[in-house]
Amino acid sequence: MVTKHLKNLHNRLKSFLGKLFKRNKEIKLGLYGPPNSGKSTLANTICMDWLGKELSTTSEIPHETREIQTKENVIIENNGKKLTFSVVDTPGIATKIDFEDFLKGGLKRPEAKERAKEATKGVIESIKWLDKMDAVLVILDATKDPINQVNITILGNLEARGIPVLIIANKLDLKESSATAIRSAFPQYEVIGISAKEKHNTEQLYQKLFEVL
Amino acid sequence: MDVKIKLYPYEKLKEDGIKDMLHDLKKNTIIMIDAKLKPDEEAKLIEETMKNISTNFSGIELDSLDLTASDENDTVLKKIKTQILEFLTGKKRGLTLIGPADIIKKIEKKPDDLLLHMR
Repeated sequence: MVTKHLKNLHNRLKSFLGKLFKRNKEIKLGLYGPPNSGKSTLANTICMDWLGKELSTTSEIPHETREIQTKENVIIENNGKKLTFSVVDTPGIATKIDFEDFLKGGLKRPEAKERAKEATKGVIESIKWLDKMDAVLVILDATKDPINQVNITILGNLEARGIPVLIIANKLDLKESSATAIRSAFPQYEVIGISAKEKHNTEQLYQKLFEVL
Repeated sequence: MDVKIKLYPYEKLKEDGIKDMLHDLKKNTIIMIDAKLKPDEEAKLIEETMKNISTNFSGIELDSLDLTASDENDTVLKKIKTQILEFLTGKKRGLTLIGPADIIKKIEKKPDDLLLHMR
């Protein structure tokens, strides 16, 4: 009888401490997706909105982010509640990296080769960091076909790890974009349509973070 | 250019299969695996691919068919049998195609087909 009570007390204390720890813990919010989907633009928008400074550099040339970029202590407020994040901007995940694509982007041959080499390391880092995330925003370019192996692999790995996911249909400022196509492709996920560049609908994203976490 | 198609038994992945596959992929071989890869296996394949990228090998194109998803009309008994079999073998019913990105532009997935667009 005494053992049962002690066990019960232990479990309640463990649960309370668990919740307390979770509440005070800085949530690692990963920004994942294929290259050029707007991860760094969104990271910058979030950091500008809540810290007043940007996190990453952005470029039209793919694989601009080739190392993990982190901004700690980003506090988001909504209806009097607060969430404290580490915003983690990750290099785009790809199955192929052709240095000749960078030549087309205007880089010189040695720079293009170096960028390709760094980009391969970036992809590996992004995959390794999956295990460290508490929640992930999967940012997809809403002008492109969402059904591709990279998107499926990212979402599958997050699901297998039990990490909460929000899909962001980005670039809705562009005429050919479609958040509906992304919703149809991944009906089991919550999809929020935004334009990180134009800061359109980011309020809804912040509200959703409070619901998910 | 000659392109070879090679069947890889899923069981081989558990050994040193990914490294062997990449060795073949770098020699213009298209790989067919008799199962759908699990997310962690796909991630491992991407990681290993990245380690092998060079000026002569730009990476891979891959896609897969999940054959368990097309069994909606199966009887409950058949579904249970399939699940037991998958549990016992650790193998997800399906087909995976992996090809060198230097020769395959895109693999397009139709509900029951995989369409290879060559360069």
